[in-house]
Amino acid sequence: MTILELNNITKTFGGIRAVDSITIGFKKSKITGLIGPNGAGKTTLFNLINGFFKPDFGIIRYKNIRIDSKPPWKIAKLGIGRLFQDVRVFGKLTVLENVLLANINEMGESPFTLLLNLKEVKRQEKENIEKAKHWINFVGLSNKENSPAESLSFGQQKLLAIARLLAGNYEVLLLDEPTAGVNPALIKSILKIFLKMIEYGKTIIFIEHNMNVILEIADWVYFLDEGKVTAFGSPSDVLENPEVRKTYLGL
Amino acid sequence: MEYIVHILIMICIYGILALSLNLLVGYSGLLSLSHAAFYAIGAYTTTLFMMNAEFNFFTALIYGIIVTAISAIFIAYPSLRLKGDYFILTSLGFQLIIFNILYNWVGLTKGPYGIPGIPKPRLFGIEFYSNYLYLLLSIFFFSMVFIFLRLLYNSPFGRALKALREDEIAAGALGKEVPKLKIWAFIIASAIAAIAGALYASYITYIDPTSFTLDESIFIVSILLIGGSGNIKGPLVGTVFMIILPELLRFIGLPNTIAPNVRQMIYGLLLIILMRYRPQGLAGEYRFE
Amino acid sequence: MILQLLINGLVSGALYSVMALGFALIYNTTKIFHIAHGAVYAVSSYAFFASLRLLGLPLALSLILGLLSGTLLGIIIEILVYRPLYQKKASSGVILVSSIGIYIFIINLIALIFGNEIKILAPGIQKTYKYGSIILTQIQIIEIIVFIAVLAIFIFMIRATKFGKLIRALSNNPTLLSTLGIEVLKLRIGIFALGSLLAGITSCLSSWDIGMDPYVGMPMLLLSAVAMIAGGIGIFEAPVLGAFLITITQSVAIWKISSKWQDTITFAILIIFLLVRPQGILGKRKRIEEL
Repeated sequence: MTILELNNITKTFGGIRAVDSITIGFKKSKITGLIGPNGAGKTTLFNLINGFFKPDFGIIRYKNIRIDSKPPWKIAKLGIGRLFQDVRVFGKLTVLENVLLANINEMGESPFTLLLNLKEVKRQEKENIEKAKHWINFVGLSNKENSPAESLSFGQQKLLAIARLLAGNYEVLLLDEPTAGVNPALIKSILKIFLKMIEYGKTIIFIEHNMNVILEIADWVYFLDEGKVTAFGSPSDVLENPEVRKTYLGL
Repeated sequence: MEYIVHILIMICIYGILALSLNLLVGYSGLLSLSHAAFYAIGAYTTTLFMMNAEFNFFTALIYGIIVTAISAIFIAYPSLRLKGDYFILTSLGFQLIIFNILYNWVGLTKGPYGIPGIPKPRLFGIEFYSNYLYLLLSIFFFSMVFIFLRLLYNSPFGRALKALREDEIAAGALGKEVPKLKIWAFIIASAIAAIAGALYASYITYIDPTSFTLDESIFIVSILLIGGSGNIKGPLVGTVFMIILPELLRFIGLPNTIAPNVRQMIYGLLLIILMRYRPQGLAGEYRFE
Repeated sequence: MILQLLINGLVSGALYSVMALGFALIYNTTKIFHIAHGAVYAVSSYAFFASLRLLGLPLALSLILGLLSGTLLGIIIEILVYRPLYQKKASSGVILVSSIGIYIFIINLIALIFGNEIKILAPGIQKTYKYGSIILTQIQIIEIIVFIAVLAIFIFMIRATKFGKLIRALSNNPTLLSTLGIEVLKLRIGIFALGSLLAGITSCLSSWDIGMDPYVGMPMLLLSAVAMIAGGIGIFEAPVLGAFLITITQSVAIWKISSKWQDTITFAILIIFLLVRPQGILGKRKRIEEL
């Protein structure tokens, strides 16, 4: 079943079509890879889905709800989570605080409801801390729980961002180069986490430059070049496509 | 002794101002130069309700809080659309416009002539006339504000504000409703500043626009820049430091004619040095970087 | 009556736009919101005053000393405060606060030395000239002439000299400039020197006309900032338009309402532009889709 639909999406920046009439339907509980040269429009596509940009033309539907004109926080609340290429953890906040922030905490985040429900918020906070600790442990960062996020290595920050995504209970995960800058041993554990998430019923869409990762976990791949989808199919099909081999893999 | 009581009352009043502005500067990352405007609106509204409508202090205070909170919407909305320097400039503009209104709308505020004869608060027949009683009242309000804000700082709300301050984009991607958070921050910060305004008005029993100028806004921001922001220690350290310093200068015999200028020069110098070597201030968590 | 007010507004606009040009020059190139520019403004006037009235030096020399002092102060501020922050890649918030600190320090130093009262520079009443129903004072005519001269030289410099080319390049693409090995630091000194000189020109003319006190710099600074934004950030000559917009609106307001609300008008203009047309009158709509 198609959980996220992009219909004829176009986005232009100063005369350049970053995304050019792209139509894609992402399937639920599948891992879809987006590959292509730099500047092909992959990250822009993510930004459009997330709501950071508005498409000049076209419609985006998530579970049949139109989301192309909604603000990012609304889209996140609907269940779409994002891992940024540059990670974007909250540097001055601790690892624990970072993961706690993943919760959609309606009651505690609005001063009005907070004050009227002090006891309940306190109870929820305790629960959330337990849950957060669980995810921090899951990615192996327990010993860094109270350290400021900026003191972590890049790979550890990636793990923190992943823990944040797990804690956020999203249904669709947009991962922008999740394995970049991470050492190979860690990559293996991260891929295991992703496969586990599919088991939990989540949908993963990820941008990747590492073809081994694509081959290992992607169910379906789209190749983007200059804002257009020029090839799609199973990973082996796409990677054997002569055009792809020529322009991207340099073969 | 009377002198010390006066200092302590001023520490309570400015402590309230600093703790409330902390919600904007230290937690939300919004360097607002409008705080004296909220201070003023609180002071004037409470005063006018006490003197024209003959409400008692505590009832008038509630109206003061409400009016000030509503006025905050005028600067809260621009803060959603404007970034960095543009927002700071707009908050400066808001401050100046409010000052202009207080100064020029003589029919309502008596303009530069000011409003004398502001009554002291009355509760169960006790008039808070003596300074000692007023100090108790000030400490009461300060404590209430302290407890309330500490609760907010440590709550999911406070945490969401910090996320906003660190990285608004990432915060949005995590589902934090950025506009709502900012508006709440402004409403609460301004409402609490109104309390300080009311306390000030009844204490001095006279208010005029010159207590609520842009310089005053800069002074309150300096408390947070020098003392630190983003936690609970910074504003308190800052308040004590900034209130005690001029008294110390007076103590070492600096003549009264030049003392205010010397004091300001020290503030200016401190700001330059701190921004260069210690942007988190003396005791703050949020580094201006 | 309205005509006289409009003419006065035009003259004020001409005078203030010189300072606004200086402020915008600094902001467009270094992105520094130079609040201390208000202190440079004050220092120029006071140096002028000190030379003329305290040291008894001739008018021309005093004027030169006044302008020189302001220019030097601007350069010192850049070297001592802004440059280290620039090299540390400090945020604009840090720089802004430092600028406020500089302003507070210098203004109070002036007040300490010279006192808070208004100082008068020009002796006696101004000579006036009548043109039909319009009256212009001598200083107003000088201000108009200076404005035209300064604007012409400024435009020539920005558009036709190498210095101007470097300035425009710095404004459009600062990183490219430093990779090309162009001495950005030296360029910044030149920019601050020029910007401060412009502030000094406005300052000395204005204080000759209406005197000064230590606090005159701030309203001028704010007006310059609003003129820059209303005119259009990124376009060096645009603040002139912004300044005229403000002063003429103020003149109309004096005619229709009263003179009490001038500050409110200035900031109302600012807020309207920021919310409705942030690129200013001449600016182009930039779709800065930044992430």
